Amino acid sequence: MLRVIAIEFKRGLLNLRRYPLEMVGQLVVITLIFYGLFLGARYIAGPAAQFGGRLDALVVGYVLWTLSLFAIGDLSWGLMNEAREGTLEQVFLSPYGPARVYLARNVASLLIMLGFNLVILFVLLFLTGAHLHFAGAAVWPLAAALLGAYGVGFMLGALALYFKRIQAFLNLFQFVMMFLVMTPFERLEGPGRLAGILLPITPGAGMLRGLLARGEPFDMHLFALALVNGLVYLLVGLWVFTYAVRLTKERGLLGGY
Amino acid sequence: MAVLRAENLHKTFRSRGRAVQAVSGVSLRVEMGEVLAFLGPNGAGKTTTIKMVAGLVRPDRGLVRIEERDPHRDPWTLRRLGAVLEGNRNVYWRLTPLENLEYFGVLRGLTAGAARRRGELLLRRFDLDHKKNVLTQQLSRGMQQKLAIAVSLVHEPALLLLDEPTLGLDVEAAETVKQIVRELAAEGQAIVLTTHHLDVAQQLSERVAIIREGRIVAKDRTKTLLARFSGEQYEIEVAAELDEPRRRRLAGLGAEVTDGHVVYVGDPEGLWQVLEVLRPLPILRVEKDRADLTEVFLKLVREEADA
Ligand SMILES: Nc1ncnc2c1ncn2[C@@H]1O[C@H](COP(=O)(O)OP(=O)(O)OP(=O)(O)O)[C@@H](O)[C@H]1O
Ligand SMILES: [Mg+2]
Repeated sequence: MLRVIAIEFKRGLLNLRRYPLEMVGQLVVITLIFYGLFLGARYIAGPAAQFGGRLDALVVGYVLWTLSLFAIGDLSWGLMNEAREGTLEQVFLSPYGPARVYLARNVASLLIMLGFNLVILFVLLFLTGAHLHFAGAAVWPLAAALLGAYGVGFMLGALALYFKRIQAFLNLFQFVMMFLVMTPFERLEGPGRLAGILLPITPGAGMLRGLLARGEPFDMHLFALALVNGLVYLLVGLWVFTYAVRLTKERGLLGGY
Repeated sequence: MAVLRAENLHKTFRSRGRAVQAVSGVSLRVEMGEVLAFLGPNGAGKTTTIKMVAGLVRPDRGLVRIEERDPHRDPWTLRRLGAVLEGNRNVYWRLTPLENLEYFGVLRGLTAGAARRRGELLLRRFDLDHKKNVLTQQLSRGMQQKLAIAVSLVHEPALLLLDEPTLGLDVEAAETVKQIVRELAAEGQAIVLTTHHLDVAQQLSERVAIIREGRIVAKDRTKTLLARFSGEQYEIEVAAELDEPRRRRLAGLGAEVTDGHVVYVGDPEGLWQVLEVLRPLPILRVEKDRADLTEVFLKLVREEADA
């Protein structure tokens, strides 16, 4: 399995290198955003502004926002492209099975995206002489939230596999994501609070807000909740995806009949 | 042990309220080192059958066994299978040939190192060595198809499925691909080949299966099938005008005469009598009529249509 992740990592890097303009474009956008954050332009962070005014909070919030967006859409876009171009079935001929191959692909592309962000961040820190007081603990709820985001990504991937054309739906889903990441469910009472526990991504995002914006201490219980939430969504996502694979094979729709 | 055993496969597609019975009751068997030509007109159910064998379409009924393992139950069965699918790109255009081979090799269960070594070997073998670091996108269609075949072989599968590997290629590229299939067949690679090039099928295959409207209408050794359809018909070419008495005697034997040609339908015994009549005229050619696969194919496909 590690082999598959490694080869997917290599493929991802090669694709980036082959399309330098795409890569440069991405680099410029990320650099500008981080730079804006450094200059104190809070509005630039968009939804990340919910994470408090401090620079480190803004940065983490922004990373959560971009990585989750990436996590929910990447698989679906990839599947639709491959169905159109005609490489999808070759991937499905792998004895590892599509769920594992695409999981590996997700891990690899997450590493690449993360690498991108970190490199730019460090370069900017170096150039501006700014300091970030990363609450190292922030990594954990971030990871938990991303697990959930990938779970949702697999569910959308299931739709993409079966219906093939869900671009409009995917675009619409960005707003759902915004709602999930931004709404401070953890401050609500009653059903809102419950929703904050049950919806994907929200417990991790809520905990991040607590840590960074409100300076709450790391709460093991909250983290356990966020982690379980993330894992459950990931497992359900994988299950839904596997089910969609079955259904698609049943209907003979893999190659996009 | 058969490399492929498919029994009684059925598949009905339902789309927009209409049911299409794509495959009904197809059984195929391929032994080690054997090439099966799987022929049929458009829409007969070839691709559907191939995809059921590859585990990409789930059969409604029937079973598929590759080396006695079920690709629909046990995914590692796919380790023994390679496929070039119809009309697909099959490989990544954004990667070079060598990168494709390495990537798909790992996806099929090899280590990256083993995949690369095997890839280098295949590239040399398929004469793509000089292009190994060029983007696949920039290769000619023929080279891309050769690469697709190389990729399908990177993990040394026991069974190779080729679904119309020459489709959409120009004459020269098609010729190159045919040559590769020929070589693979000669090396003893078990292959299921669907093609509309019946001459290739005739040259390469030990066995033929012909499918029409989802049903197998003929399945036999290629030689046997051809012999079955070759009539006991002889054509004799003579270099001189035939005189009236000879014409009458030939007619008596049941032979037909048309400008310089004598056509006789009957057993070899009768042929000697015909030749006796012709003696001592100079004979240019005596030939037994041999059906080719195209004739057989058309006969079978039409026969069934009339029935
Ligand atoms: N996913 C699908 N949904 C509905 N009908 C389908 C599907 N796949 C194939 N069919 C239909 O099933 C029948 C068999 O198709 P198939 O592609 O297997 O034929 P084929 O022998 O490969 O033809 P060709 O020589 O044109 O490639 C056709 O009528 C086709 O339209
Ligand atoms: Mg076909």
